[in-house]
Amino acid sequence: MDMFFGLAVSAILLGCTYTLVAIGFSLFFGVMDVVVFCCGDIAIFGSFAIMGAYVVSQSAGLFGIFPFWVCVTLLILIGAVFCAAWGLITHQLSIKPFQNSSELMPLLSTIAMGTVIKEVLGLLFKPVVNTISTAFDSESAVTVVSGRNPQGFPSLLLPGGTVDARHLVIIAITAVLLFLLFLFLNKTKIGMSMQAISQNKELSLMTGINVSRVIIITFLIGGVMLAISGFLVGSYQKLMSFDDGAMYGAKGFSAAVVGGLRNTWGAVIGGMLLAFVEVFVSGYIPRGTAYSSIVAFVIVVIFIVFKPDGIIGDKSVEKV
Amino acid sequence: MSRKLKLLCVFLLSLFVAGLMIGDSSVEAAESVVKIGFLGPITGSDAAEGAAARNAFMLAISEANKSGEFPFKIEVIEVDDQSTENVAVAGAQEIVSESGVVAASGFWNSGPAAASIPVFKEAEIPLLIWGAIRESLTNEENVPYITRSAPTDKQENIPLAIKVLDEMAYKDWFIVSDVSSYGSGNFNAFKAELSARKITPLGEEQVPEDTTDLNAVVQKIKASGAKAVYCGSTVAIGSQLKRQLFEGGVKDILFCGISGMKTEDFLKIGAESAEGTLVVSPGVILEDTPEGSNFIKLYNSQGYSEPIGAFTPYAYEAALIIINALRACGEKPTAEAMVKAILDSKTTGIMGTTTFNKIGQTENVAAYLNVVQDGKWVPLEKSEYRQGGKLTFGGR
Repeated sequence: MDMFFGLAVSAILLGCTYTLVAIGFSLFFGVMDVVVFCCGDIAIFGSFAIMGAYVVSQSAGLFGIFPFWVCVTLLILIGAVFCAAWGLITHQLSIKPFQNSSELMPLLSTIAMGTVIKEVLGLLFKPVVNTISTAFDSESAVTVVSGRNPQGFPSLLLPGGTVDARHLVIIAITAVLLFLLFLFLNKTKIGMSMQAISQNKELSLMTGINVSRVIIITFLIGGVMLAISGFLVGSYQKLMSFDDGAMYGAKGFSAAVVGGLRNTWGAVIGGMLLAFVEVFVSGYIPRGTAYSSIVAFVIVVIFIVFKPDGIIGDKSVEKV
Repeated sequence: MSRKLKLLCVFLLSLFVAGLMIGDSSVEAAESVVKIGFLGPITGSDAAEGAAARNAFMLAISEANKSGEFPFKIEVIEVDDQSTENVAVAGAQEIVSESGVVAASGFWNSGPAAASIPVFKEAEIPLLIWGAIRESLTNEENVPYITRSAPTDKQENIPLAIKVLDEMAYKDWFIVSDVSSYGSGNFNAFKAELSARKITPLGEEQVPEDTTDLNAVVQKIKASGAKAVYCGSTVAIGSQLKRQLFEGGVKDILFCGISGMKTEDFLKIGAESAEGTLVVSPGVILEDTPEGSNFIKLYNSQGYSEPIGAFTPYAYEAALIIINALRACGEKPTAEAMVKAILDSKTTGIMGTTTFNKIGQTENVAAYLNVVQDGKWVPLEKSEYRQGGKLTFGGR
């Protein structure tokens, strides 16, 4: 029973990390009808931005001036700014130019954008962070290793607390984010406009919704969500690599497909389902860890073949 | 001065400068150059080992160039294989296609090494492996082109097995590795040691190399009641597993493994959970020999940001073996001559005297154990974890 409980907790935590990336996919697909494949890379960029900002703020002595929680909030905000910027760049360079092309074009160009984001991280993380860091105090400055190397994520979530408490905070932050997203999508004009576009873009245009503005806001909000996702992934895994984005992107996309690509709650259900499958296959099948991802992706393929709209996705009907 | 005269002066000056430059380059072209390839994971998940090895290799070559002993300059073509097979093969092709290359040394990861070996064999350029330990890399088919100065996975695991299975007598084991050839090689080598002592592990798991969440494995270890965990993997998996075991409450346990974990990154990522980790390192304790101590001083005086790793001395030694072979080949070394010169070489370096057996494998095999004590790697016999010391390993 202990093992079952332990595995369940691990699955929920892993599910939280998948869910937030999956929500990014759902938001973008809902509004744009485009699978933005670089969501995972944007999230990982966010976690690296937070790590870089942490190193710089340590060199600048910010942690001694402001309370710890203020500094951490600032770091997450910096990560959010970077992720939102990547969201906008992705929209402007990888999606907008292909609006009237085949739907494969934006899909491919967002995969390419993922590679750009990853390589920018690998190439520029060290020189940029170390240049800023040493500008404050060249002798006692904290520095980072090459962006292509694994990086230990700093303890920014309850650094003095127990592991269980830290895990509870990760689950709580995910739940609060989901609640805020629910409020935003259902109680604000912009949120409802996003839902309207997701359901019927042409009709939304006819009712006077400024679709371009809503799309840009969606990318901004999606970027912020991905930054927080990157923060939670880093706080949970503690070890980040610049190319983790592809794995998180694949898992996030799979979760969104299983749950229902257009539905934000589908992303939650899909993320949790994938995580539970992976963790329980690892836990209960001898030498199962090697196969856990394979089993998870087989489930995704089954969904694509037999229930392409996902668990709670809307059934799309096309009239000829 | 008229405009025409000015133009003439500028033209003549240009010719003069151009002539100087041509003359200068012809002087450079006259200098004889011998090229050596170096391959390793300079970036990526194994960069801690690869970058330090690159530093040591370049250091030895630089010392040889400075000595003035050779009538040519030794140039190194450096390739970052990123621990990836296709990148390694592309790098190997880059090296063999360069004119003037007479030998190469490479690889910390066995997968990239195995994938690149055919490239060197086909080009008939000798490859001296400094860090990849899969046993099958050196064999009768690959000799004389492929030699290795590092020990094999089997040779590395034997001293660890003797310590933890025979001397410390741990019986309840859970063995973990990644699915890479490095991980699988170690997994099988240690499992063979267990089998030889009629011990069946309570559990075993092989995880994909990019796994970051090992909590399911932690739960399995917890449920198995294992008193000792063997991790035959590199720092990425090893440090994550140790940390997640610690955070999952599995603290009273022996955690041991292979040299791939003996890096500064393991200490950083593992933090307090790293304490008491036991790993085997190839080679000798450098501080205990004058040659080793001199190497430490020399390396540390260069201001490298990467500290000496488990295989850094092997990369330095590989460079010394190549330099020794160059010496044997005289004024105009060729790849053909270097094949024989490396295989027949007898090089006394910082870890004793290296010679190769009939399949190109080093006959200089040595290993020692290290433990993490107070956030540092310490040779077991010099630590408080030694027999009779103040500290004891978990799981007793």
